[in-house]
Amino acid sequence: MSEGALPKEDAVLRVDDLQKSFGGLAATDHATFAVERGTITGLIGPNGAGKSTLFNLISGFYEPDGGTVEVNGTDVTGMEPYQVAEHGLIRTFQTPRKLEGMTVREAMLVGPRKQPGESFLTLFTSPGTVAESESANLAEAERILEDFEIDHLATQPATDISGGQMKLVELARAMLAEPEVLLLDEPVAGVNPTLAKKLKGQIRRLNEQGTTFLLIEHDMEFVMDLADPIVVLDQGHVLTEGTPEGVRNDDRVIDAYLGGGR
Amino acid sequence: MSLLDDPKAAFADLSRPEGWVLGVSVAFVLFLFVAMLTGALGPTYFLFLVGLAGMYALLSFGLNAQWGFTGLINFSVAAFFGIGAYGTALMTASGSPIAGGFSPLVGLAVALVVALALALLIGIPTLRLRADYLAIASLGLAEVVRLIVLNERWLTNGSAGLRGIPGFFDGWPVLSTFPEAMPGLRLEVIPGSPVILETAFWQASLNVLLVLAFAGAAYFVLRRAHRSPWGRVLRTIRSDEDLARALGKNTYSFKMQSFVLGSLIMALAGVFYAHLNLYVGPGDLDPITTFYAWVAVILGGSGSNRGALFGGIVIVTIREGTRFLNDVALPIDPAPLRLLLIGVVIVAVMRYRPQGVLPPQRELIWPSAVGGGGTPETPDSGVRERKGGGDDE
Repeated sequence: MSEGALPKEDAVLRVDDLQKSFGGLAATDHATFAVERGTITGLIGPNGAGKSTLFNLISGFYEPDGGTVEVNGTDVTGMEPYQVAEHGLIRTFQTPRKLEGMTVREAMLVGPRKQPGESFLTLFTSPGTVAESESANLAEAERILEDFEIDHLATQPATDISGGQMKLVELARAMLAEPEVLLLDEPVAGVNPTLAKKLKGQIRRLNEQGTTFLLIEHDMEFVMDLADPIVVLDQGHVLTEGTPEGVRNDDRVIDAYLGGGR
Repeated sequence: MSLLDDPKAAFADLSRPEGWVLGVSVAFVLFLFVAMLTGALGPTYFLFLVGLAGMYALLSFGLNAQWGFTGLINFSVAAFFGIGAYGTALMTASGSPIAGGFSPLVGLAVALVVALALALLIGIPTLRLRADYLAIASLGLAEVVRLIVLNERWLTNGSAGLRGIPGFFDGWPVLSTFPEAMPGLRLEVIPGSPVILETAFWQASLNVLLVLAFAGAAYFVLRRAHRSPWGRVLRTIRSDEDLARALGKNTYSFKMQSFVLGSLIMALAGVFYAHLNLYVGPGDLDPITTFYAWVAVILGGSGSNRGALFGGIVIVTIREGTRFLNDVALPIDPAPLRLLLIGVVIVAVMRYRPQGVLPPQRELIWPSAVGGGGTPETPDSGVRERKGGGDDE
């Protein structure tokens, strides 16, 4: 177990000796782990363990002080977030902000990457191409909303739906970006149990269809049920890594959560 | 759906505020028309006002492309307007200290290139940062440009300004001689108060033609851009830039495009102004122009091109309409009254309709993409309608 689990055969995301300090605080302290293709990998740890910092480092929002991040075998360390996304790593946020003045399906349409209509000149030189891709994307967005059983929300203003529904829309939108690996930051925080169950079902379904997930979650029941393997983070470094069962019974993990370590 | 295909349905499609604006506009145009026929409003002056309205509409279009679409806070509207005006004036005016005498088309091109360069110059260092930095930098830029124009006499003629700017169509075939070629007309609709249309009137109608061409082109471009995936990325940046970045959008590039586009449209307004007024001076770069453009956009509804057009017209109506109050005995002077009125309008709009008079209403998806499957263009009864009351979130 522990760091010995590396290297993995087919890692879609590989984090190697990643470091980041804020002032004197090492928020990420030589973190090393990998996410194997086809898994739902859980990332847990007590408050302040550095989970969100790690997410920001991986997705390019923070620049690491040291170490590397590889997506699909490409070194993406130090790249801009949009470049990391172009390599197939998409992330969601803990508290999604609602897109003002957009309907749900409009908000969905931000998802697809590299749309021809995102080039200003193409709008005028080749409007037909834009219309074609927009039609295709709209059909795909509506299909995904149907899969998520929220197609009735399609034409609702995005500001009018509940926080839980927004989390579903976020996940649905991320799927439109066709991620190789999807990072979910607390997908069920503040979501009611019924919707949380639905989200869990969706994540599992998408995983079976081939999407790899890395998710941060505080809801232990949720993460233990869904994720395998689980990476435990404490004070910025990887404490241990293993099956839910193994992690649950690991004394160091219990210590970290209960503060026995210090 | 177009007004021509199905007028009834097109009217039924209007929301209540749209109906109101349409009604008030029609009444206002009728009023102006009657005023013109009775001789209370000179037709040439009327056309001058239409030109000014078009100019303010251009300024608000430009700001709308920056603030309304993307949320970029630009306080240097006056600078880009001034760059447009001085750019063309320095190229074409007989009194220009550096060049002069070129065709207004050269002036137009030079003005746009200088505005582009200035937009890049200010955008490159600030657009990677948070929105506030552009606001501060643009505030400074406006003053820097104004002071350069005022003090660099070898370049701009300083406080004397530039005289001898030709009309935009001077030197063109047909159009340059059109005003002289047209016969003077004398219309007497109401006995005793004839309306005389002569060279000045035809000259003014050419200016209106020019501003309609500029504003029409800007409107066409912005409308198409706004409902495209490109515009959607801008609107996403406005609400949540990090989200756009996480979804693989190069937000710096998008913000730059939006900023440059808006700045070019503002410069276009300046080019038109120079050839309308035939004189430009440092006073034209006063920050009040920036203020007017902001009022117009907020009043009309941020993000809405129609709103920007409407806001621009309201500004001109208040600015020029108050001149007529000189004839009426008032306890206060009309000049401060103008600013007071604009203040009152802004307070009233913020209090009763914070989203603006004509907010963007329909879902913005590339039109032909929506046609087949669902209900076209009208499923949401006003997305913006519901927000802004302070009751969401």
